[in-house]
Amino acid sequence: MGTDSRPESSAQPFRIRAGQRAKTPACQTHCPIGGDIRGWLCILSQHHKLGLSLEQACDRAWEKLVQLNPFPATLGRICPHPCERGCSRTAKDGAVCINAVERFLGDWGTARQLPLPKILGRNCTESVGVIGAGPAGMSFAYQMSRRGYPVTIYEKTELPGGMLRHAIPDYRLPRGVLDAEIQRILDLQISLVPGIEAGDDISFAELRARHRVLFLGMGAQAARQLGVAGEAGPGVLSAIEYLARRKQGIGGGLGKRVMVVGGGNTAMDAARSARRDGAEVTLLYRRRLQEMPAVANEVQDALAEGVRFEFLAAPQRILRDGPMVIGVEVQRMRLGEADVDGRQRTVPIPGAVAAVGADTVLAAVSQKPAWRGFGEVGPDSKWLHTKKDGKLADDTWAGGDDCGPGTAARAIAQGRLAAEAAHAELRGEAPSRGQQARPAVEPASVRPDYYEVLPRGGTRRRPMERWLAEPEVEIEQTLGREQASREAARCMSCGLCFGCQQCFMYCNAGGFTRVEEPEPGRYYALALESCEGCGKCIELCPCGYLEPREGAVA
Amino acid sequence: MATADGLGWLGKPVRADRARSAQRLRDGSRVAVIGAGPAGSMFSYFLLNMAESVALDLEVDLYEPRHFCHRGPAGCNHCGGVVSESLVQRLATEGINLPDDVVQHSLESYTLHMDVGDVEIATPLHESRIAGIYRGNGPRNSEPLDTRSFDGYLQHLANERGARLINRLVTNVRTQDDSMRIECADGSYGDYELVAIASGVNSRLLESLNDLAEDHRPPALTKTFICEFRLGKEVIRQAFGPSMHVFLLDIPRLEFAALIPKGDYVTLCLLGDDIDDRLLDRFFSSPEVIRRFPEGSIPRPVCHCYPRINVRTARPPYGDRLVMIGDSGTTRLFKDGIGAAYRTAKAAAKTAVFHGVSVEDFREYYWPLCRKIDSDNRVGKLVFWVGSLMQRSRFARRGVLHMVAAEQKQSQVPRRMSSVLWDLFSGSAPYTDVFQRTLQPGYVGSLIHHLVAGNLPFKSGADVHRPGERERGH
Repeated sequence: MGTDSRPESSAQPFRIRAGQRAKTPACQTHCPIGGDIRGWLCILSQHHKLGLSLEQACDRAWEKLVQLNPFPATLGRICPHPCERGCSRTAKDGAVCINAVERFLGDWGTARQLPLPKILGRNCTESVGVIGAGPAGMSFAYQMSRRGYPVTIYEKTELPGGMLRHAIPDYRLPRGVLDAEIQRILDLQISLVPGIEAGDDISFAELRARHRVLFLGMGAQAARQLGVAGEAGPGVLSAIEYLARRKQGIGGGLGKRVMVVGGGNTAMDAARSARRDGAEVTLLYRRRLQEMPAVANEVQDALAEGVRFEFLAAPQRILRDGPMVIGVEVQRMRLGEADVDGRQRTVPIPGAVAAVGADTVLAAVSQKPAWRGFGEVGPDSKWLHTKKDGKLADDTWAGGDDCGPGTAARAIAQGRLAAEAAHAELRGEAPSRGQQARPAVEPASVRPDYYEVLPRGGTRRRPMERWLAEPEVEIEQTLGREQASREAARCMSCGLCFGCQQCFMYCNAGGFTRVEEPEPGRYYALALESCEGCGKCIELCPCGYLEPREGAVA
Repeated sequence: MATADGLGWLGKPVRADRARSAQRLRDGSRVAVIGAGPAGSMFSYFLLNMAESVALDLEVDLYEPRHFCHRGPAGCNHCGGVVSESLVQRLATEGINLPDDVVQHSLESYTLHMDVGDVEIATPLHESRIAGIYRGNGPRNSEPLDTRSFDGYLQHLANERGARLINRLVTNVRTQDDSMRIECADGSYGDYELVAIASGVNSRLLESLNDLAEDHRPPALTKTFICEFRLGKEVIRQAFGPSMHVFLLDIPRLEFAALIPKGDYVTLCLLGDDIDDRLLDRFFSSPEVIRRFPEGSIPRPVCHCYPRINVRTARPPYGDRLVMIGDSGTTRLFKDGIGAAYRTAKAAAKTAVFHGVSVEDFREYYWPLCRKIDSDNRVGKLVFWVGSLMQRSRFARRGVLHMVAAEQKQSQVPRRMSSVLWDLFSGSAPYTDVFQRTLQPGYVGSLIHHLVAGNLPFKSGADVHRPGERERGH
């Protein structure tokens, strides 16, 4: 028998070698803060595997959470939680209630009076000045202070918190919750100078002279006007002005009928607050329900509280009887062609105009910057344009709404990113890329059918009939410890080992061994010497942590 | 004598026995079954059936973290996937009717390949066919098959019968007061009056149970090899036909090698003593193997694994409130693992329902079956040893080939060698049976005749295909 027909073992099977690789889950990429959501959920849900009591786990999860977000109790209440839209669980049995768990952890940290974690390292002594004690400025101050820098915050109002304090009603964010989280940041020995308006009471040159690094977080304090006839005069005010006055206890005086103009979250807050002040509220929005920028929940709750919505409607003229507002002339709109952004323009329907009675008009049609005296660095009342990392000019950084309107979460993220970049620059280090360097989780690598069906826990809310009866009491309630831990256990830990043990249990070659001191993502060590290349472990791995190693074909 | 029917169905005065055992299942008793392979699913099915026959109300939890609907090794239970017709019929008498879409490929013959020639062994009279099945949902990256997973079907059956499927990985079993506690990877646990371990030997669960039963000796294992080639239906029909191709090659440590056609794929199954790369190389470069493939070229397999098999019974395969069934306890050497799963599952269920769940009950009523299988396996080892001696001798191979060919050609002569090989390949009969047949004077006489005839320097007239003499069409 000849040997010429022998193949060179071409029939030997491909060896698929597994690699262990942590990946970035979709919740994290959807989060403006880029928070390690999976990280803190996993500490809660895996506490028994990590040898932690639930209390210890809550402490540790909180500590992980506040690395990037020193306002978990606050954002756990008001964040529109885009993270949940990314959750791999959505199609199975509903996204994890990330926001509710964040809120639980936030309240847990406050109740336990846990101190914010410092970053021990070199002695950083450069003086840092922060303008504006809103979420962006507080976030920057926190990140610099925990790195050891002496920080001074200049705030033009008497109390810190910015829009969180002045524009968000108590029924969504009780002031005590915010106070506690702000105080905890200030406790890092940050000095707060209230009642000083930078650029006015103190010159920019003076601030430059006092501090090596400046951060501009002035926000966008001025409300845009409606731009219609009859707007000037009593009876027409901006929603943020109304909300701020209300927070200071100066309420009422709206009259019986209130018209709110706008479709964002501020419009919802204003409309619902006006309901609490006893008014009949009509909300005008120029597009339709599905185009509303407000969070769906807020819209639902506003409807439930009796706010009347008028879609495809825009104010055309404020009707007055002498100085008094008596109504609004409303123009009906229709959706026309798409503009460059793909958003449909609104077009007035000729002749479709109606007068609607109103005693007060609240304008919630966006905000704009209002400052002066920053010279070339920040021309008066113009949006700031920073680099990606928040750098505005030499030794000057900026973030928050003064760079364009956004959420509190985005402001906190911008403050943190600017702090990281400023710190790296001061220390002469390369900016850290952190977890962003990890590849994103491939949706197909996550296997939802491995996980048990566990319906979304939801949040706890007070009965609806109490909402208006106790107008300032918070509607949402914080989850209990067990509830929060159960909800956290729904996290599928996309892209990070959670110790399901299948690779260990089913590897024929015994390639996986238990790690002595496990931590999330590190439960099993993999030794490839014994690997038989069948690839079973990769296919069994429910979270997509195990993957085929590149170039591993033999 | 161990036969496929094992222990009979409902025994005689069982109620008296039930009262005697100190530990028995009562109404509302909870039973955990670990693993939903054939042993676990059939155990659940039998247990619930038998319990119903004595009006006993049991809660059965069937633990299985994997999904047999997945393609590739994740959804597979790693075996060659051949079920003999006698087992198919046996299952039918139990009410387990394998639907047509569970059977991948109906096989009608074995083709024996040796260096000295090939010969086809037709189905014996009592067997109509062999069923080729997929334990999971087909090879890696395969297109959706028009057939169902065998294990998935049995699992579904157990579930329909009332077993609750629990999609969790069991990581430990331990005694807890007067019951057994099952612990899962997610930290959850449950307490049960009886635990049946059917986790097979391709999971490390058995390893974690060392301190469970005193002096427990887990089953001894060896490494096998299974892979899938994608060739396409048409090529397979031409090159393989409805036949399972068995190779008797002179390769050390290789006891059994077969190619089993299944739709678009051919499954290769190598059994022996720790199949490794060297052995694979020798196998893949054997001319007898290469010749089977179109244009003499073996493609790379799409899917492969090295499943472990049980080659020595666990001792003892039971304890108080604990019983190991299927491969976790004992199985038949190399062949008919599903048949053994069936027999152990049934015997264990019968013991638990009609006798009790104490260590004494299992020793008295379950162990005899395991012992029977075990001793038959020892005979099996002898048979395979003799077989490997024959594989090594060209002289013997010629004789075997000649004898089978002659038997297949004439319908009147007793098919002595054919039936021995058939039962050896298919696992249809106990090894003891097979061995005894080879000791009969007729067999021995006939073999001697064919050894001589097969080695004569000129053609004997038997219908033997010799390499080189046979043109294969493409």
